[in-house]
Amino acid sequence: MFSFLFRRLLVLIPTYIGITLTAFVFIRVIPGDPILVMSGERSPSPEKYAELMHAFGFDQPLYVQYFEYVKDLLQGDFGKSIVTGRPVLEEFFELFPATVELAAFALFFALLIGIPAGIIAAVKRGTFYDHTLMTISLTGFSMPLFWWALLLIVFFSGYLGWTPVSGRISALYFFDTPTGFMLIDSWLSNEEGAFKSAVMHLILPAVALGTIPMATFARQSRSAMLETLGEDFIKTARAKGLSPFKVTVVHAFRNALIPIVTVIGLSVGVLLGGAILTETIFSWPGIGKWMVDSIFRRDYPVVQGGLILIATIVIMVNLTVDVLYGIIDPRISKKGH
Amino acid sequence: MSGEAINNQPKQSALMAVLASFWFEFRQNRGAFYGLIFMSILLICAFLADFISPYSPIEQYRDALKLPPVWVDGGTWAHIFGTDALGRDMLSRMIYGSRFSFYIGVIVICICLTVGVMLGLIAAFNKGFIENCIMRLMDIILAFPSLLMALALVAILGPSLLNAMIAIAVVYIPHFVRLTRAQALSELGKDYVSSSKTMGASQARLMFINVLPNCMAPLIVQATMSFSSAILDAAALGFLGMGAQAPTPEWGTMLADARQYIQSDPWMMGIPGLAILFTVLSINLIGDGLRDALDPKMKTSKT
Repeated sequence: MFSFLFRRLLVLIPTYIGITLTAFVFIRVIPGDPILVMSGERSPSPEKYAELMHAFGFDQPLYVQYFEYVKDLLQGDFGKSIVTGRPVLEEFFELFPATVELAAFALFFALLIGIPAGIIAAVKRGTFYDHTLMTISLTGFSMPLFWWALLLIVFFSGYLGWTPVSGRISALYFFDTPTGFMLIDSWLSNEEGAFKSAVMHLILPAVALGTIPMATFARQSRSAMLETLGEDFIKTARAKGLSPFKVTVVHAFRNALIPIVTVIGLSVGVLLGGAILTETIFSWPGIGKWMVDSIFRRDYPVVQGGLILIATIVIMVNLTVDVLYGIIDPRISKKGH
Repeated sequence: MSGEAINNQPKQSALMAVLASFWFEFRQNRGAFYGLIFMSILLICAFLADFISPYSPIEQYRDALKLPPVWVDGGTWAHIFGTDALGRDMLSRMIYGSRFSFYIGVIVICICLTVGVMLGLIAAFNKGFIENCIMRLMDIILAFPSLLMALALVAILGPSLLNAMIAIAVVYIPHFVRLTRAQALSELGKDYVSSSKTMGASQARLMFINVLPNCMAPLIVQATMSFSSAILDAAALGFLGMGAQAPTPEWGTMLADARQYIQSDPWMMGIPGLAILFTVLSINLIGDGLRDALDPKMKTSKT
């Protein structure tokens, strides 16, 4: 197990160097002078220009700049935002809980509906239920996320007036946010109605973001279940006289878990990518919106640092999934695959 | 089932038999069949846009702003899908927009297939350093969420439809490389490759004539699926203002324009959105059908 983990970590080193290099090169290959691009309309005086060039280290040779950057990174210094002047890492950790909250609930929603739907479709293969569920999930899979989010807003916020349109909580509530997770903070605050407001703000974005993963889970768990349901040990279990529920959930589902866990792991990247659109549409103050705003504001240190931090999350999740494989199916880590 | 019969026949009719059995398998899947019909209609629209669209997609009719579609009160047959905020005919914009969807899908897939297959084959044939370099590079691209990576790339290249397509292609290439390499590696261990090697076939011959044709089935399925994702991602970039620029009648850009009228004139947003949904859905249905027909092992939708 540990040698498996160690080998996986070792492979990560070149990948990680590549990631920092990519993020670093991004800023340098932008056409035009980065200082002039950053300062926009306000063209700086020659002295100010030289000062800025020096401050950002652009007057150094490229390889020196890169090593300086990596040295800073290793000390946890991701640079400062040009727009707000605050450290990138500080902004990231302030906004990250909002994205985690959104993505976690989207994932929860997707798993809660997607996996049972897939199992039912597999068990009732070829019936009306199967066809209906698979048609719905393929439609969800094909849905343009930004359009779906707008439709949800038009219907649930506009027409029915059930949920608010944007933000994380109503502007009427003021309380400390020690954890950054609005649901927990509003619960702790003891303010009447605050928790309900936070939940109502979360529902629509989470459903919008969870729709595509939900459809993927339903399709994947159906095909994985179909595969295992055809195996001999299922026939044995049935022949032993086990209840259909036990055969399906205990015997078949456990063996169908590997491909399902793979898709769940892959969906974290999808969720983070989808968060860009969802957060922009719902004005959800998370890292997705932060990245889009920074790209539009040409806040390059933020884009650079944000790319590295987000890639780190994706890599960590992939690693966790690999380790989980070993736990679900011990044959994999032994093979050293 | 019909494998032996095919082998016994001359080459020409063997190909026909393969195609016939492919068509038979494909038609078994009703969804794929409907998807193919929808895509055929769309393809005709794209080709004949100049002839069938009633107006120019960018001409502004100032006396008919924000006209609703014909089935809503106040709509006229002069503008069947209504007009947008600048008085441009929605139907004509939709018809011309279908061109861009194909354009995006075809270009992205061409780039992905050429680059992805080349890199994948090179990685499979050159074990060691070269393979490691290529695969690590792909890992790096895959570490970034695809939309974020595409967004950052477009920010560098400058917002335009062409740059959006290049960015999307770059983000999809790793999937093609991994698939080609895995497929080629499993083919390389087979007897026909060793015997071809023994007979002195060059590496290029081994790559393109022996191995590649046997890797095509999963690549075709992957290409179909990427075609639909490319349309979705290009629309998303257009929606964020980083794809096609006004007045291009690209569906995602049209959605972005319609966003501020979402309460007052919802059809402006509804029509392009539905068009994207149906197009992507059709391609995915075709993809499912192709997978069932090409790779019976991966059957998902068949009972």
